[in-house]
Amino acid sequence: MERIENTSALKTCLIDANPNALMIIDFKGNVLEVNQKLLSLFDCKKNSLRNANLNDFFDETDFLKKHREIFLKKNQSEIHSFLKLKNQTIAIVLISLPFKNEMGKVAGAVIQFKNPAIVDSNYIFNPEEKIGGKLKNQSSDLSSQEISSRYARSLIEASLDPLFTISVEGKITDFNNASIEVTGLKREKLINSDFKTYFTEPEEAQKVYQQIFEKGFIDAYPLVIKDHKLTAVLLNGSVYKNDKGLVIGAVVVARDITTQNKIEKELIEAKEFAEKATQIAEFAKLKAESATQIAEEAVKSKQQFLSNMSHEIRTPMNAIIGFTKVVLKTELDEKQREYIEAIKISGDALIVLINDILDLAKVDSGKMVFERAPFKMAFSIAAMLHLFEPKIQEKNLTLIRQYDEEIPQVLIGDPARLHQIILNLMSNAVKFTNRGKITISVDLISESKKDVTIEFAIADTGIGIAENKITSIFENFQQATSGTSRIYGGTGLGLAIVKKLIESQGGCIQVKSELGKGSTFSFRLKFQKTSESVENILPFFPKDDQIKGVKILVVEDIALNQLLMKTLLDDFGFNSEIAVNGKIAIEKVKKNNYDIILMDLQMPEMNGFDATKYIRNELKSKIPIIALTADVTTMDLAKCKLVGMNDYIAKPVDEQLLYSKIVGHLKNPTSTLMSNKSAILENKKRCINLNYLMTRTKSNPTLMVEMISLYLEQTPPLLSSMKESFASKDWKTLQSAVHKMIPSFSIMGIDNQIEEMAKSIKNFAEEQFQMNDIENMVYQIESVCLQAFDELNEELKLIQLN
Amino acid sequence: MNANQQTVFLVDDDAVFLKLLAIDFQLQTDFKVLTFETGEKCLENLDMQPDLIILDYHLDGVEKGVMNGIETLDKIKEYSAIIPVIMLSSQDRIEVAVDCMHHKANDYIVKSETSFIKLQTVIQSIFNLKQIEKKLNWYMDRM
Repeated sequence: MERIENTSALKTCLIDANPNALMIIDFKGNVLEVNQKLLSLFDCKKNSLRNANLNDFFDETDFLKKHREIFLKKNQSEIHSFLKLKNQTIAIVLISLPFKNEMGKVAGAVIQFKNPAIVDSNYIFNPEEKIGGKLKNQSSDLSSQEISSRYARSLIEASLDPLFTISVEGKITDFNNASIEVTGLKREKLINSDFKTYFTEPEEAQKVYQQIFEKGFIDAYPLVIKDHKLTAVLLNGSVYKNDKGLVIGAVVVARDITTQNKIEKELIEAKEFAEKATQIAEFAKLKAESATQIAEEAVKSKQQFLSNMSHEIRTPMNAIIGFTKVVLKTELDEKQREYIEAIKISGDALIVLINDILDLAKVDSGKMVFERAPFKMAFSIAAMLHLFEPKIQEKNLTLIRQYDEEIPQVLIGDPARLHQIILNLMSNAVKFTNRGKITISVDLISESKKDVTIEFAIADTGIGIAENKITSIFENFQQATSGTSRIYGGTGLGLAIVKKLIESQGGCIQVKSELGKGSTFSFRLKFQKTSESVENILPFFPKDDQIKGVKILVVEDIALNQLLMKTLLDDFGFNSEIAVNGKIAIEKVKKNNYDIILMDLQMPEMNGFDATKYIRNELKSKIPIIALTADVTTMDLAKCKLVGMNDYIAKPVDEQLLYSKIVGHLKNPTSTLMSNKSAILENKKRCINLNYLMTRTKSNPTLMVEMISLYLEQTPPLLSSMKESFASKDWKTLQSAVHKMIPSFSIMGIDNQIEEMAKSIKNFAEEQFQMNDIENMVYQIESVCLQAFDELNEELKLIQLN
Repeated sequence: MNANQQTVFLVDDDAVFLKLLAIDFQLQTDFKVLTFETGEKCLENLDMQPDLIILDYHLDGVEKGVMNGIETLDKIKEYSAIIPVIMLSSQDRIEVAVDCMHHKANDYIVKSETSFIKLQTVIQSIFNLKQIEKKLNWYMDRM
């Protein structure tokens, strides 16, 4: 036998015999030698690898360096990397063995490729790009089967989720590392143990694999693993079969959902928290709302209380002041006079305060109604200034009046309110001025066909107001300095009332002032013009001793007031008789002759209204009746006029005014509140109400104007058609005209009564049964519509102005 | 303007009521609103294909010799039976209501402050009905 030389051929044979893919490289990574196994794995010829380098096979940019570091310096046995093949990259494990040259230095290495897990059988390693070899597909052989099984194993082990295979009986047949970690048990203990014993609810766990074997799979079944921290898991699993298709076991994956659960729990908590926060916020809102309501009600009841109290105080105060005045007329010694004067001054101050509070409450609650009556402006101002003359003389001041003669003689407005405004401003001027002059000027600012704007200014040379106080003086209970009321008196309500009265009438007030030099208050108000003459307005009658023997009936239930009235009338030189209620008054009127009746409104048995009605309607007497009222602003003036009263006078009764009114009515007994047309108008409330229209149009001014204009265009012809057809007894036209008018009444907020009347007319026109009221109704509808036209025209102007 | 916007005709000889109704429609619905003071004018514009007509019963109130509401209703139905017509009247009388229904009005409403609210409900139910009819026809065709 020939002795076989230890040749390179022998070496080649040796490495070819190795079942692993081997590659020998030099220190620079150049391929020196490969075995057949490697060639078949890479499927290329030896020649094609002649100039190849280790780096060419790997994705990493300098694999050689990594290789060198790991194997030569760190002495690790394995390196995991990715082998770059055509179109795909596969995981691979390298085992490298360095060899040395004669000098003892590393000259190269033998590399063993393990686990080339070829999942895709179509993969092609294409060294052509760099090496230029030709390839063909590698068919599977035993070792690649082993390789793919290892690969599968590595996939299983790579999973962080515990993975089990179980037998049909529920015994664990295999598992991965994660399972060992989760259960904390050794491999030997786990194998062949009962799957269900690892869960907190074994029955549930049993159901899991029962279900898997029944259905073939299970999806997201929640269980808890009995480990040291009770990991919540979702189980997913499916059966696996042998090659004959028989089920031999199941694979179960337990997904740890602790984190999800935690997040879910947090989310739920956050949601609950948010809901709670909303609840708290809502509760707080409700609380705030109810608090607001309570506060509003408290303010309201406070006002109501104040208003009621003031009213109650006023009645006895009237008696106190009245009798004080009476006492002052008797013979008194100096001391007594001084004391009584003090009582009167205090009483006056108190009544002013009470009236102010009542007025303020009325303005605040919107109960203040402004009259629209014709009055003589110049006369009204003069009469009022008259009141201040004694005071001005006493303080040795000069009063300068400047009255613009261009102002129309008679205007329509609320003289009582104007009086109140100027009175307040004048009394302030007089109060705060110690020397110098007070100038009141009334100027015509502008004039249109229908109305005039007048500016009133009251200038004094008084103490003045500091600049920083000017805005606050109009607030309730405010005075320019805290010492003001101590020195000058007053409640601090006057200017607040003045401001509200002016603003409620659409005007505005201005003040200019310099501390120590004086103040000027000015305001502008609009008044309607009128062609009415004012013959019916009673002039002021000064006291005349010639008038004697007048017989007066005083109808009054309160004894103090009876006595006061009697004293006053005695003083005037008039005879008086008292009736304690309406009933007695009627009896007296029947028996005796009186020149005038002073009638209180609120009385027991029969009140003033009923008594007057009886006297006018049953007794047919035209005797002048003057109402006595405690409260002009809320008193039902319209009702007074309706029952046929001629005039009214407010308590506390002003002596001069009472005298003047009595004498005026005696001289002109036909003067009544109903005596002229404008008085009716003033008596009437506004007949339209645009609230409904405003809601419907959402207060859109353009739409409002369109609606009002359409109404003003459409209704007048209908109105005349109604009148004409009624006169000519053309019932069909009457019916049509009225029919078409009906919807517009409610649109313009005209009283429902009128609409009912229109409906009655329509019914009448249809059936023509006899009805006496129809003519009256036609007349009433006409007058209401005419008034509505006026008011709507005004509204139209207002809207267009804004 | 929205191409899907539906058109409503309002017909009433009472200009004030007509305007108020138009305002209600403009402020509270998406309808395109056209108003006519006579039945004749409404009929002239039918080729605009309104989706709905609201018609006053009493159109010949003041102007003589014009069509009344029922005559207009008949003409509309003659032109197209499918246009829904709601009658309005200030008369709350059974004869009027029956008269309207006999002439194929879809509904009858008495003029009042709340008539617009009633109208909205009626319009809604008419359109619902139309929708159901349409669906039914579609299914019938399929069958």
